[in-house]
Amino acid sequence: MRFLIACTVAAVLAVSPVLAAERTVTDDTGREVTVPEHPQRIVVMHEPLLGIPLMDLGLEVTGSYGRTEDGEFVIAVDFIDTVLGEGKPKPGGFGPVGQPDLEKLRALEPDLILATELDAGKVDQLATVAPVYLQNIGGTKVHGFDVQEDLAALVGQEEAFAARKAAYLERVAQLHASLPANTAGQTYLPIFLTDQLNVVGNSSGMVQALEDLGYTRLEVNNTDGTTAGGGSMMLMPLSTEAFGRLNPDVLVLLNNYMDEGRDEAGTRAKLGKIVPGWDRFMKPALEDRILFVDPAKVITPTVASAEHMLDAVENWSGKER
Amino acid sequence: MIRRGTAMDGKRVLRLSNGLQMRIGNLRAGAGFAVAAVLLAAISTGLGLTNTGFFDLLSALSGDPLSGAEGYALWTVRLPRILLGFMVGWAVALSGALLQSIARNPLADPGLFGFSQGSMTMIMLLLIVAPAAPKSLVVLAAVAGGLCVAGLLLWLVGGERSSGLSIVLMGIAIETVLSSFGSLLILYLPTETSIALSEWLAGSLFQANWTMITAFIPLFVLSLAGILLVGPAMATFDLGTEMAMALGEPVARSRPVILVFAVVLSAAAVTAVGPLVFLGVLAPHIAGFISPAIARARLFLSGLVGGILVVAADAVTRSLAGGLPLPLGLSLTMIGVPLFIIALRLQALRKQQSR
Repeated sequence: MRFLIACTVAAVLAVSPVLAAERTVTDDTGREVTVPEHPQRIVVMHEPLLGIPLMDLGLEVTGSYGRTEDGEFVIAVDFIDTVLGEGKPKPGGFGPVGQPDLEKLRALEPDLILATELDAGKVDQLATVAPVYLQNIGGTKVHGFDVQEDLAALVGQEEAFAARKAAYLERVAQLHASLPANTAGQTYLPIFLTDQLNVVGNSSGMVQALEDLGYTRLEVNNTDGTTAGGGSMMLMPLSTEAFGRLNPDVLVLLNNYMDEGRDEAGTRAKLGKIVPGWDRFMKPALEDRILFVDPAKVITPTVASAEHMLDAVENWSGKER
Repeated sequence: MIRRGTAMDGKRVLRLSNGLQMRIGNLRAGAGFAVAAVLLAAISTGLGLTNTGFFDLLSALSGDPLSGAEGYALWTVRLPRILLGFMVGWAVALSGALLQSIARNPLADPGLFGFSQGSMTMIMLLLIVAPAAPKSLVVLAAVAGGLCVAGLLLWLVGGERSSGLSIVLMGIAIETVLSSFGSLLILYLPTETSIALSEWLAGSLFQANWTMITAFIPLFVLSLAGILLVGPAMATFDLGTEMAMALGEPVARSRPVILVFAVVLSAAAVTAVGPLVFLGVLAPHIAGFISPAIARARLFLSGLVGGILVVAADAVTRSLAGGLPLPLGLSLTMIGVPLFIIALRLQALRKQQSR
């Protein structure tokens, strides 16, 4: 009898490779979810924060929330082009933002859906199509490219991530050695310009690169009582008065994705509208300690974004010298 | 025993042996609305990516198997949206019709009284504190928020002799305060949280599933019983508080009960699909234009029109090609407001002609 049972189990496992290649994991909200060991058709609910990290590891993303059916991205910037380079295959869409279409999602035949903790309310419906894993993206819960490391472990790409990270750290060491000033103890502050000033959160390749180079984030005490909130790439809004008094060793300025001019000239002009005359009284401006960066390249939590940040620092330090 | 007769206003009625009478015009309108709702639902089952629809559904009910994609489209996506949409529209419209009678104001609806805002504010606070809060907690938060507003409203307007106008004005004040607070939350919350809340505030039937429908059905049945119980009182409230009291209506007891009934209906709808702005005003007026009615008939017809409007709005949302985002609240406005304007204009023309 035992022999028969063993043979039956072996036969089931042999004809059901999917069953054998699944594992149960606990996602970042504490849900237990059974996912494929090596998912082949992944759909993401937030492309810059969940899709780009996987594509940076060489994985193909099947579907992405916010893309149209023919692969066009819903906002002005296509992060695949800006972070990973043009010419990459684009994921398919399944409904406009605010209206995910479950029939279109099912037609993509995903074997894993990756979503953020803010999609918790959608889990029951998404799970009718494929297993859903909720990943923390919050600024206070994850740091640098932690999200990419977490996702690599989830989809069995630890080795690919380790290789990317090793090459990156080698470059960090080279750049650190070539920087003109000792960065130990120096502070940085990244500010994202929308129609207001926003302190950028901790979950991005940009922050990872700056801190790996030895810089420390400048602590900001906002005078209007606004405190840092979790769950966002934008840590908190910053009043213009508080901004004018800040003096980090490196002020990193990033213009909105929606603006055409994300270069130095465009960013200066945008900041001039929010804080008129800032470049005539702010110390980092007067002492030329400002780094202008394109957020579309450096804001994702990936090694690729961290490398873009290293490029930016390298160019900037070259100019300094 | 049912007899035909004529009411005092000359309208033809059916009289039951227990004294209950129903206008034949209202019955015909109700039957017409029911047929329209079924036809609309049948059309709506055919809208979506998968090539399937009403006839496949009939085949499946008669035992023929559906393919995986067809079964998923019909049973998991389309039917739950249609059924939940109808019940939610029914609940909001019924809530609006109840409040309009209590306030003697044709503009009254759960939004104007601040009930929807109370529910929304409480849900938003809950989602900020616990983004992964279970659905049951969200429902409780919505009902608690609506009841808090209703309690505050009753306390602020005072006793049974307070007028309908004072209830409306106080409701507008509370609604304004809560709306400002909601805007403040959206503005200063982290971006992703704001986006998630904004998506929900725009209204959506994305969450519709059989679990939610199972939870909503008892409320729907309760609303039918509620109509039978409070319907006659609505006819007296339509005449004003003093007249209602003169006619023997225990206003001090019945008004809070009706308010709580309206709050529960509104809170359940807000929890299921988000706020459906203006539906509580639209549906009773359109129903009243097609078939003027009072008491129970007015509540039934309003609920039916509310359900039809939401099913139609969802059909428009799902049938749009090209990935154009159209939230349920917006498509409801696009369908309902032109009907509302046409109804008001025709009413005005009728009055001019009668002079």
